[in-house]
Formats: sequence, C-alpha cells, structure tokens
Amino acid sequence: MRARVMDKAHWLALIDRLRADFDEVIAPFAGRGRDTYFDRVTDANRARVPLHVPNPYYPPKRYVLPPIERLLQIHLNSTPRIQAAVDAPRRAIVGIRSCDTAGIDHLDRFYLGRDFRDGYYAAHRQNLFLVNVVCTDPEVDIDDDCFCMCADTGPAAREHFDLQVMDLGDELLVVAGSVTGEALFADPIFRKGTPAHLARRRDILAHVRTRFKVSTSWYWSTVKAITLGEVADSTWERIGNRCLECGGCSYMCPTCTCFTVTERRLGPDDFERVRIWDACALGGFTRMAGGFNPRRAAHDRRNRRFFRKLAHYFIQRELSVACVGCGRCVEVCHGDIGMPQVVEIVRRTTAESAHAARA
Amino acid sequence: MAHTLTTCTFCGVGCGIYLESAGRTLTGAYPSMSHPTNQGRICVRGWHVNEVASSPDRLLRPLLRTDKDFREVSWDEALGYVADRLARIQAKSGSSALGVIASPRGSNEEAYLLQKLARAVLGTNNVDHGLGAYRNHSIDVLLDMLGVPATTNSIPELSESSAIIVNGVDLGLQLPTIGGRVLRAKLRGTKLIVIDPRRHRLAEHADVFLQLRPGSDTALYGAMAKVIVDRGLLDLAFLKAHCRNVEAFLEVVHAYDVLWAADVCGVPPEAIEAAAIAYGAGAASAILFSTGVEAYGNHAIQALINLALLTGNIGKPGAGVFALTEHNNLQGVCDMGMLPNRFPGYVPVTDEAGRKQFEVLWGAPLPTRPGQGADQMLARRGHGAVRALWLCRHDPVMAASADATEVLRQLDLLVVQHPFFTETAKFAHVVLPVAAFGEEQVTFTSTERRIQLVGKAVDPPPGLAPAWRQIADVANALGAGWEYLTAAEVMKEIGRAVPAYASAGYENLTREYGRQWPCTGDKPLGTRYLFEEGAGGRRFSLAPIPRPARPPVPPLDFPFTLVFGHSLYYWHQNVLVQHSETLKREYQILLLDFPEGFVEVSVEDAKRIGLRDGTKVRLVGTAGSAVTAARVAPEVKPGMIFVPFFHREVREALGGNGAAENGRVPVHVRLERV
Amino acid sequence: MQPVPDNIYLPQIAILDRVVEEIAEVKTFYWHFEDPEAQAAFKRFLPGQFAQVSIFGVGEFPASLPPSPTEADLFFTVRKVGSVTAALHALNPGDRFGVRGPYGNGFPMRDYSGRNLLFVAGGIGLIPLRSCLNYALDNRDRYGMIQLFYGARGLKDLMYLGALREWEMARGFECHLTVDRADDQWTGNVGVVSSLFKKPGVTVPVANTTAFVCGPPIMFRFVIRDLIEMGFKDQDIVSTLERYMKCGVGKCGHCCIGLAYVCADGPVFTYGQIKHLGEVI
Repeated sequence: MRARVMDKAHWLALIDRLRADFDEVIAPFAGRGRDTYFDRVTDANRARVPLHVPNPYYPPKRYVLPPIERLLQIHLNSTPRIQAAVDAPRRAIVGIRSCDTAGIDHLDRFYLGRDFRDGYYAAHRQNLFLVNVVCTDPEVDIDDDCFCMCADTGPAAREHFDLQVMDLGDELLVVAGSVTGEALFADPIFRKGTPAHLARRRDILAHVRTRFKVSTSWYWSTVKAITLGEVADSTWERIGNRCLECGGCSYMCPTCTCFTVTERRLGPDDFERVRIWDACALGGFTRMAGGFNPRRAAHDRRNRRFFRKLAHYFIQRELSVACVGCGRCVEVCHGDIGMPQVVEIVRRTTAESAHAARA
Repeated sequence: MAHTLTTCTFCGVGCGIYLESAGRTLTGAYPSMSHPTNQGRICVRGWHVNEVASSPDRLLRPLLRTDKDFREVSWDEALGYVADRLARIQAKSGSSALGVIASPRGSNEEAYLLQKLARAVLGTNNVDHGLGAYRNHSIDVLLDMLGVPATTNSIPELSESSAIIVNGVDLGLQLPTIGGRVLRAKLRGTKLIVIDPRRHRLAEHADVFLQLRPGSDTALYGAMAKVIVDRGLLDLAFLKAHCRNVEAFLEVVHAYDVLWAADVCGVPPEAIEAAAIAYGAGAASAILFSTGVEAYGNHAIQALINLALLTGNIGKPGAGVFALTEHNNLQGVCDMGMLPNRFPGYVPVTDEAGRKQFEVLWGAPLPTRPGQGADQMLARRGHGAVRALWLCRHDPVMAASADATEVLRQLDLLVVQHPFFTETAKFAHVVLPVAAFGEEQVTFTSTERRIQLVGKAVDPPPGLAPAWRQIADVANALGAGWEYLTAAEVMKEIGRAVPAYASAGYENLTREYGRQWPCTGDKPLGTRYLFEEGAGGRRFSLAPIPRPARPPVPPLDFPFTLVFGHSLYYWHQNVLVQHSETLKREYQILLLDFPEGFVEVSVEDAKRIGLRDGTKVRLVGTAGSAVTAARVAPEVKPGMIFVPFFHREVREALGGNGAAENGRVPVHVRLERV
Repeated sequence: MQPVPDNIYLPQIAILDRVVEEIAEVKTFYWHFEDPEAQAAFKRFLPGQFAQVSIFGVGEFPASLPPSPTEADLFFTVRKVGSVTAALHALNPGDRFGVRGPYGNGFPMRDYSGRNLLFVAGGIGLIPLRSCLNYALDNRDRYGMIQLFYGARGLKDLMYLGALREWEMARGFECHLTVDRADDQWTGNVGVVSSLFKKPGVTVPVANTTAFVCGPPIMFRFVIRDLIEMGFKDQDIVSTLERYMKCGVGKCGHCCIGLAYVCADGPVFTYGQIKHLGEVI
C-alpha cells in the first residue's frame, strides 16, 4: 500500500489539481435538508466540496451507465447509415464512498467480464478516476440505513479506488490504489506518513465500526435458503405484495445492471437507438412480443431480484453478493422491502418453518 | 449538470423530485429525501418524468388549419388569429358561445388566467377543468358539510393514524406514494380498512377488506355509523361543539341495520362491525377516497364524511378526510375557479357580493349565471352549444368519458394548447405549442393543499412560451391590458383573489417545500391540518341520509353486475406516458395482450363458464350488448364483471348514462361465450 | 465523442434477397451481409445459435437461425408477433436491415455423435430445431436413427413441408406428422404430437437417444411427461428457450431466468438444467 499524508488545508489544492488533470470533476454536494447530490465542481462551488456529507441518494452509477445512453445513431436511406460513438469525458469523482466504489467494481466485473465486453461502459470506466473518501464521521457519513459492514465493503474500501482519502483530524491520509493515483503523489502537498498515522487510521476505523446504526443484513442464511430453494412461495408472495412496482430499488442500486433498448425518432429519417435503465420490478420487464409473460405476478418479480442478487451461483460467478450495503433500497422502498428487510423476512420465515418441521 | 428541485407532474400527491439536467436536456429524475410528502419515494412515473420533456416529438411552432392539413405560422399570426376569431364569434353568437377547459395537469397560473380570460374578457362562465362533474360532486359535498373543498389533513400524518379507511381507490397503482404511506403505517400497527369492489394490492394487507357490491356504499357507511352509535364510539363533545343536524342524523341512523347492510353489500356482518369499531375506536382515524373519475354519487361521499364527523375525526393530526385528486393540479385548478359555477376561491358566481369583489379586482363586469360544464360543452349540439372552445393541455378525445369528436368537428374555433400534437389537436383550428414540465416556473397545488413551485430545469425549445403567457397575449390582443411580466406576478394576483393563497408568494413558497393552504397573513407557514380550532365560525353539517332502497337483485337471466369506471388503466392514454418508453410499456401491457380491450371476470366464474384470458365473450344487458375479450382476474368478486375506464364501447353499449358509471345504478348483464 | 471499438451492439448491414411465405403470418427471409467479411465470420455459427435482427427505426429482436451452417444460404423464419417482426415482414427484396451475432451456446453437436436423434416439434417450434436436424442429416454417418415428430394445429400450420418430404425421401430419416384438427385434404394422424410415439409401426428408441423438444408451453409439458414415462433421462432431453431479449449478449438482463441468462448461457438447455433454472415452465 502506497500512502501519503497531506494537511487538511490542502484539500482544495487536491481538488484544483484534479480539475486541472481531468475534463470534469464530480463531487457530492449538500442540498436542501438531507438531500445531497453529485454535481460538477465549478469555480463557484470548488470551495464547498465536502469531506463529510451524507452519501447522495442518486448513485454515481450513472457516470458509467447513464440512465439514458445513445447506442446508435441511425440515418435511414436506401443504405442506412449507422454511427456509434460514446461521450466519455475524462472524469474524476471526488468523495465517492466505499460502498459505491464497490458498486462500480461490481459493474466492472459484469460489464467488462464474461464473453462480451461492453464498449460504452468500458469507455466511461477507462476515463474515470475515483477518489474514495472513508466514512469516518458517524454523525454525517453514516445514516440509519447504512450496512456496508455486513456487505464487507466499508467503512473503508480495500481496493478499486485510485486514491483513498481518510480524515485523521488535522491531516488526511491518502492511499493510492492505482498507478495513476500514485502518480499524483509527486505533488508537493503530499508528504510521507509515519507509523503513527497508520495507527491513527486503525483506531479511527475501529471506532467507526462501533458507530453503525439501525440496518443490518445477515446475508448468508438467506443465501443458503434461496440457493437451496427453501423459501416458501407464501414468503415471496408476502414480500411481493409489498412491492408497488416503482422500480426505484433498481434505479438506485449501485450494482443493478439491467437496461432496455428502444428506438427514438429524431427527425423524418433519423433515429437513435438508446438504452434506458430498466427494473425487474416492472411488469413489462419480461413480457415477450405476443404476450406470454413468464413472470406475471409481482411476487415472482421480487423473487427474481433477490434470487439474482443472493443465489450462490451468481455470487460465485460475480465474486460477491450483488449488494454493497449502501442502504438506498431501504430508503426508496414504499413497502419496506429493501435488502436488509427481505434478508430478515427470509431468514426468519425459513428458520421458523425449519423449527416447525423439527417439532 | 444541474439539479432542480421541483414537483412531479403526474398525480395529485405532489412528490418532491429533482430533475438532473445537462444543457438543454433533462438527464434524470430522482426523489427528494427531505420532501415531507414523499421522503425519498416516488413511483415509476416519477422516475421517468424526465423523458417527457426531452421527447423528440414535441411541437415547436404554432399550427394553423388549412383546407387539408396544418401549416406552421408565426406566433403573431397564430395569436392574432385566435383573438380575431374569438371576437368575431362573440359578436355573432354572444359570449355564451365561447368556452374554455383546462387540464387538471396545468399550472395554477395558467388556470387562473384562462378563467379570467373567459370571465373578464370573453364574458362567459363556460369554464371547467377536464374532469368536469366527477370532481365537482365532491366539491359541492365537501363545501356543504365541512366548508372547505379539499383534503383536511396531510399525507405524512397517515403514519400516525390509528386506523385508515381506503375507499374506492387503488392507491398502489394510482397514488403509489400515498399507497406506500398507508402500507408502511399498516406494517407498524395502523388498522387498515379497505372498501372496494376490486381486490387490489392494498386489500391484500387490510385488517378488514369489504369487497362490496357496486352501488351499496351508502348502505355500508350508514351501517358503520349505526355500529359506532350503538357501541358508544361517537364523539359527543365534538358533535355538540361543532356540528349541526346531529339529532336528525341520529334519527335516520337508527333505521340502518348491520344484517340488512351485510346482505345489501354482499359482505359479512362481522366485517362491517369490525371496520366500524376499528375506525371509531382509534385515537385518530383517516378516510381516503378518490374524487377522480371513480368518484361516487353525492350520497356515498356524504355518508363517508358523516363517519368522520360522528367520531370527531376532524381537526386533529392523523385524522381527517382525504379527498384524493389523481391529477397533479386538480386541486389547484379548482381553487383557481376553473369551475362553471364558482369564481376563484369557490365563490359562487351567483353570489352578488362575491362577484362585485372580482369585478373590482379584474376591472370588468362579470357574467352572473353559472356556465356550462365540460360535459355539456363537449356533448351539447345545436341550440346552446358552444361555437368556440379553448382547451389548455386538455385532450378530451383521449381522456373524456364520452366521445367528444362530433362536437369538436363542428366548432367554429378550436384552440389547443399542448406540448404535443394530441388526438384532440387533429380537430383544432389553431394549435399553440407550450412549454412543458421542467421548462417553466409555475405552481401546482397537491391533494394535501400544498402549493408548490414547479422548477425550471431547462429552457424551453426556442420560441416556446409558457401557456399562461399565451393566454395573456390573447387577452391583450382583445384589449384587456394585462401586465404580467412573470408567473410570480400572476401568483401575486392569485393571492388577492383567493384568500387561502394570500401569503403564498413565490418567495414564501421557495423557502421550504411549498405551503399548505390556508397560507395567509397570520399563517404564512401554511396549515398542516384544517379545523384545529373548529369549523371557523360555522358548524360542520352532518348529512342525514335515509336508508336507501335495497338495490335491485340481479334478475335471474342477467346474473352479473357490472363494475364501471375505476381509472386503473387510465394512465395508458395519458399523453405524458406516451413519451416515455418505459411508461408506455408498463401502461400498455394489458392492451398488448388484449388489443381490443377486455372486461375482467372472477376466477370462479371463469372456471364455471369455461373462460380463459382472451376468450371472446358477449355481454348482454337490457340496454344493449357488446362483444369483448375476457380477462380472468383474481381481483374481481364472483358475480361481478369489471369494465375498465377506457373501454368506451362496452360502457356506451351497456351503461347507458353516467349514473351507471358512478355505481349509482347497477347494470345487470349475462355473459355468453362467442 | 469517441468511437466504440469492438461494439457488441453494432449491427452489420444485411440485404434481403427473397421472401418465402411459409404459413399464415410466418415468412422465411433469405439474406446476405453487405460486407463479405462479415458474411464469412457469421457463417461459422453453430446449430441452435441465434442472431439479433434490427429493423432500423423500429427496433431489434432475437431470431433463431434455421439454416444449418452446412447450407449455403442464410435465412430467418419469423412469425409476425410485434412491431419489429411486422416491420421485417413489410420489407422487400433489396431492402437493408441489420444483423448481429451469432449468439448463444448452440447445440453441442459433437456430444450427440453415435446417438439416435429424436426431434419433437410443435407449430413454429420447428424453426429453432431445423438447423440441428439439417446439420445432422448433412453429417448423416455420425448419428444413429434420426426421427422427427411434428405436430401443428392443421395442415395449414405445418412448416417446411417441402424440405421435410425431400429429406425424408433422400436422406434417411423418419418424419411423422400430426395435426390437431384435420381438414378434407389431411389423411395423416390426428392428435397431439406425442400420440405419434405409440402409433403402430413407430418405434422410438430410448437407450442412446437424445430428444430435442420445442413448441408451445402446453405441448412442451405434455411431451416431456411422455418422454420421461418412456424412460428418457432429464439430461437426454434438450430444448431451446425463447425469452424477451434486448441485447443478446448477457447484459440487458431481460432474459435472465433462474440461474441463467438465456442469451449467453442458452438458449439450448437440457431438461435437467431447465428444471433447476426455476420459473421456466
């Protein structure tokens, strides 16, 4: 691990350095009330880039997978002219949390791995520089619904960032996670750390780990129950009845990957083929032309979401549970069936039925 | 990239959302976590609202009808043509030949100016909103009984309610953010009572689900009142202090009988008792009902509100009557006087003193007799018919319950203001493209009386102005001399016209998440729930409703009862939905499977008759017959056939009139396989 | 804006050569790639693979590849079911459209060497099996007995009849047809497709046989039931699944059922796999 130390007072200098190096720098900003959002760092707001801020509700996934992205531009003629291009500026995100860093890593394994590599995703990702900020302020950084400790993604990411910044009080400990990240250490704002800095890091993390709040998600008994098919239909029905089919859990999820593709008219002979985020909660998700819908009922669709995220086969295939513990699905859900709640319902009902079977 | 806090434009909940934009494009939409109403939740429509304004199908130039088609014209020519034609038709046929209808989706500012144009410039009270009479029943009843035609309490308070009655509205599909509130309240211990002929999503969670026969609501609420009285659950102190008609009410209630009601409604008597006790015994119980296309007749609404008055569930948090509006600004357009018989603030046009005030404010003599409602303007032909109609964002060809095309075709002037070329626009003489959601700063008023700013996230396409400005331009071309520079200035005048909006200036609305009216000089922060200090110098009025006659038993040869009208599948026709790929897909699923429409039959009946999804059936009633496809639906009770709102052919063939649609006159049919 | 190298979503331009009407609403479209290199690369497809067909300005849909790679022609056989397939049906020879692929796993033809092949198809379920069947006939000496049991609603609904008759005469395979409803011209068997198994004179070997089943869900369920009763093992029954798909390359998620992305892990699955996928039938 390559690490350096910098004065907290140089935070702005680091931001400016990144602004010089990249086409755009994105950071979370505090909005009204609890609302925070990722936005471009500009001359006007550069001094307001926070070190501690509640994690924005709308995840940074859209910088690698935009909600709507043009795949093709089509000009109809006797010979159609098809153009494909991607708008992928060189971009740094400053202040991405450890859970979201893990989310992007999960997307990497999905979109860049397996037999086919998604060129659009790859273009965004190659140009993306991640400055992870460790959640060290329990009052600001960690809210009731965070459960990264259960997902093993936080409070401090171990990898998948270019730089990791941790608040030690007056100083910031900066860890490089990539060659490009490490190259920044040539900047004079950085100096070598001491063993005392590392000890301080350990102490802070040990303390933060005791400050997590309400949400917990004990995946593994649920992984087992789902994988072995031990979850009763009535349990999925109970969960499904609480789904109001808004799609929010997928749109907000840092690891959800599904999209739909559609053609939109731009002019008399011009079209674009776009992909749009999609959600398995929606009734039309699996509908085929001609009408046969293998997953008509809402509870089947909920089953689908959690099967996809928690079946052991997929965990092995993608090397992790498709959940990073950010808690957004808890906050977005009308029916209180975010990941931790479903894990708990499945865990409890399967334990109860196993108990009943023994008795 | 910019993030603009705004109000969602789909339903009446008024969720706070952010629009994310880059340059001229809306790139995303997501909920505000801090907005008190939705607190981080929105429905599938809200998640895709950004696609609507960015749609490539937008109209960009005014269109003027030619012999065969339309031609693009300049704004001067289009607006000048409208003013000129309006003046000519007025001169020839009189003011009563002119009419305006606003969509319940438009802003307060455009609704206010459109009705002002009609009344103060064109001299007519032919003014209405697109839902017409459906909604206006509820307004009359609420004004009469409570004095205020709106939801009394706030949506967030539902989390504190001890019991909630959800009556005749599929919250999960129509108003999901409220549906979620109710569902989460139920999960935390609130008693949930669902009253509906259809077993919809929330019914699955109900402590008591009353799947009653259509048209039997009044009997049910009367019987519940009887239980409440018999068990001593009535709030005598409240009745004594705040209500009138108490004696008369208690007298008629004794004529009700639970066993009789159970028989009439087709539900177990124990369930009626359980529902009444759960509602009456709670510390603060709320009633939710729809005022949209599925609204019931006056008696049913009166009988519901009786329950709230009887138990003192008015004037405290977590209680109240929620007259839900399914359109983002239905409450607002009504507040703005978009009604044939009422000025802004619900002042009757026949009230001389009230009218005088508006004549002073607007500087013009005003018509004294109520005008035609939307239903009349869109249906009446020959004598008394309107000759010129101005439709602001309204699309009656797709949205109205009756076929409006005949009337539209015969008009001398049809002005259509809309962001898109709608089905209705095909009949227009002039089409005025307007700024869309996200392109103008205006206000909506939600179903909880929350007056909210709708933010401007992007500029409209070049040349497009807000609809309110076009209305003002035409008024000025007719010599009105209006001087509004901004929407905020229109709002300032609204504050003078509508007392409840007195302090709801833009500056005040910006500070938090809008203000709930009354927002007045002494209550600048607005009012979370009404009647904290009683009925405000008057008394609430109980409605003694005599025990209704037993609805006719289905004749042996017509064993099925039709249930009309829920707007369950309404959204698929909505022009906003048409411009989002995801929404189009979601709201058209059933139409793809049943391209010629369908009626829903219970699983039990389907099995008995041998019907499967898509089986062709003929419905035969006394008024006529219709052929359609069957859809087997577990939501429907045996003996009932559900006819979706959009299935106009079936409604017209069998329903006969609007009374049937509103469930007041049951329609009996038999069902045959074709 | 920058180019997208190796773009998995970019279709190649194809030119429609001719159209043959098969049955009502079903046509066969013969085509070739504008770019000969694309043609050569595509021709390495395996029986059972599929392609994504683009009608520009309308959309894209997955279509199985009915020809065997041993055939000279490329063609799709497509039923008109939605807006995109309807747009394909409206094309004329010479019109251009787009094709991406081939995608999916295909049939592991080598695994079937030395085995008897039993094809059971219902209606348009013959389309995805045609490639495998013709491939086996073109490599006739590698396989044992080859039988096709094919049923449809009526004579008018039986597909590829000309080719089937021709192959039956010349290439050493048994073809048994049946219809649900007979008309005047029909002299053959009437009944569901599995009723053919027990017809006098028909012997269906069970040992060392792989069965290929494709057809509507109801037919699929009954045929599987009968095959299992006859002694077929789950892993010796093979089918090809069809699902709503947007990308064809395992990314969009629409075809993900149970443990598999049908496009990337399938569309060919053994019945043993299908049973464990969950939520398929």
